[in-house]
Amino acid sequence: MSDPMSQFTSSSPSDDGSTDETSSLKPNHLARIPLAILLVVALMGASFAATSTSDFVQHLDREVHKIHCSFVPGASEAELESPCRTVMLSPYSSWFRQDYWGGLPVSLFAIAVFAFLAYRAAHLLWRGQPLKSDGFFLTAATLLPLGMSGIFYWLAVNKVGAICKTCQGIYWTSVACFVAAVLTWVMSSGSDGKGIQRFFIGVVEGVAFVGVLTLVYLGAVPQADASAGGAKGCGTLVQPNDENGIMFPIDSHPGGASTIELLDPLCPSCRAFDVRLKTTQLRDKLDIKAVLFPLDSTCNWMVSGSMHPGACAVSEAMLCAAGAVDGKGSPAEARKILDWAFAEQESLTAMAKADEKKLRAEIETKFPAVKGCLGGHNVQNKLNKSLRWAVSNALSLLTPQVFVNGTRMCDEDTDLGLEFTLARMLEKTGAAPAGGSK
Amino acid sequence: MNHDIIGRVVTAVAGIAIPAFMVSGWLGAADARYKENVAAKLATPSAVPVAAMAEDQYCTPQLKSIVRRVAGSCGLLGEAAGGRGCQPMQAQSVAQLSSEDFNALFLPLSKRAGLIQFDPENTELDEPAKALVEKAWADQRGASFFFVVSRASTDGDAKKNEEYSAARAQAVLSHLETKFKDPDLKKEVGLLWLGEGFAQLGTEFCGWSRSRSGLVDVPCTEKEINRSAFIAWIDCAI
Repeated sequence: MSDPMSQFTSSSPSDDGSTDETSSLKPNHLARIPLAILLVVALMGASFAATSTSDFVQHLDREVHKIHCSFVPGASEAELESPCRTVMLSPYSSWFRQDYWGGLPVSLFAIAVFAFLAYRAAHLLWRGQPLKSDGFFLTAATLLPLGMSGIFYWLAVNKVGAICKTCQGIYWTSVACFVAAVLTWVMSSGSDGKGIQRFFIGVVEGVAFVGVLTLVYLGAVPQADASAGGAKGCGTLVQPNDENGIMFPIDSHPGGASTIELLDPLCPSCRAFDVRLKTTQLRDKLDIKAVLFPLDSTCNWMVSGSMHPGACAVSEAMLCAAGAVDGKGSPAEARKILDWAFAEQESLTAMAKADEKKLRAEIETKFPAVKGCLGGHNVQNKLNKSLRWAVSNALSLLTPQVFVNGTRMCDEDTDLGLEFTLARMLEKTGAAPAGGSK
Repeated sequence: MNHDIIGRVVTAVAGIAIPAFMVSGWLGAADARYKENVAAKLATPSAVPVAAMAEDQYCTPQLKSIVRRVAGSCGLLGEAAGGRGCQPMQAQSVAQLSSEDFNALFLPLSKRAGLIQFDPENTELDEPAKALVEKAWADQRGASFFFVVSRASTDGDAKKNEEYSAARAQAVLSHLETKFKDPDLKKEVGLLWLGEGFAQLGTEFCGWSRSRSGLVDVPCTEKEINRSAFIAWIDCAI
């Protein structure tokens, strides 16, 4: 490889004295091969990013949709549950979530970057051959997707705990783009002395690609309808008071907005919401208490079958552990049971479906402090009061339900739109949202 | 030069325009669906069921009428009601039914009810009786009213039997208050004591859940079954 700076400073004027790059080269047609590869790979990267963005954008209608999760963009059947959904719902999939419903998807920027790389490669191919400075610029430009892929891979592994195939497609195409760009740089030759100028023009063009796509996105993103959902919520509590001592803190932040979560410890959506809530900064602004509402006909007369077998037993254990029955225990102990139930949800449900007594025995083994309380008349009575709290507030038979200062957050706002909605609900009730919002 | 610039502009415009149109199209479609959803949501009430008290099939108008009368006019405990129950003379007017018809109303409760039995001329709950009271109370589910209908056998003085039946109903209530310390208790328990004069139980009730069902040396006679308090949560929206 030649002196890196020489590609910007040396010149090879043409016979007529011009510095026209097309007439001043020592062409190496082999350099077109990695350039062509770069074009193809960048288009593939753009396609992966487009698939991801398309899946993200379709959720802006506040409904649940299937997501494409495949190494071949658009080739797979869309799925309802997949690592791609986990990644999409994670806080790392988009930026500015408090400002825009769902935020700006990171994959949108990936489209812009890959489209830009494809454009540069296509232009250079069309022109005929890349100069050394072109190869250098492409290499520098591909460092951006390469670096971001490294960061997002680390986040996926260490923070999200799931890697989606579409994201892997972006990671691998980023690596391939970088390799192709380096090869282009190595195999290219010639210089026109305008390398520095062209480098900055390239930077400006790259920024323009990102800027244009961002502006298009912000200009067309669905605006939240003030008459439906959002900070206005989906109903209010008519009897929020806890006269029977059925509520207990599950995430206490003194001074935070009074928040009540109606939950079922064996409900997958409650677990997902719990995970989701832990990822938002606004969590510190909420003082959350739980009201147990097991969707299990063993104790809940409002459901015809057991949607979540064993939920009554786990709920009883939580009330026992929280000290709601006899004053012995603490909310922290109840939280431990909740975390355990969330972690072991599938196996506990299966166990209860086969034999609920076995589940009760398992709970007592795992949490000996609930012995003597679990299954007793007093805790059954307490759990019944918990269910009646939902009756007195005429709540829907759904879990989870979240009430911030008595206003119910709409179901459609509890995942992608959580930060956006929560920030506004907190503003409305006078609590300053973390990080501010528009 | 021009050739290169034109090529650069063409590829650049194509490079940004294609994704821009695609993104714009996706967002437009999402916006249209969102607006449709909002309009549909505002126009159509939610189909999700709402939490409510139980309303079982046995909740006939007659049964509800009796429970309402007990709750409202002569039995539901509470500060306003002064903690009294329905007395024998009131019972028939409350029921406005024959003894047989009155008892028949409770037949659908065979799986839900319990019969708390007492010794002759005694109003104290023994241990099996306490256990059955606690079990019945804890099995509230969606019921809103706990009915205690106490009786006495026809042995002895009718006036005395009236006092026994009243004390038996009170014994059940006292035990609930002691055991559960439930603030809702006074709003949910209704007492109706019948003495020996109205709606005596037949031996067909011996097959129900009784506090002395395990005692083989105490046969379930008509007198035994009427020295009792019938307890049950009523799964009716009163």
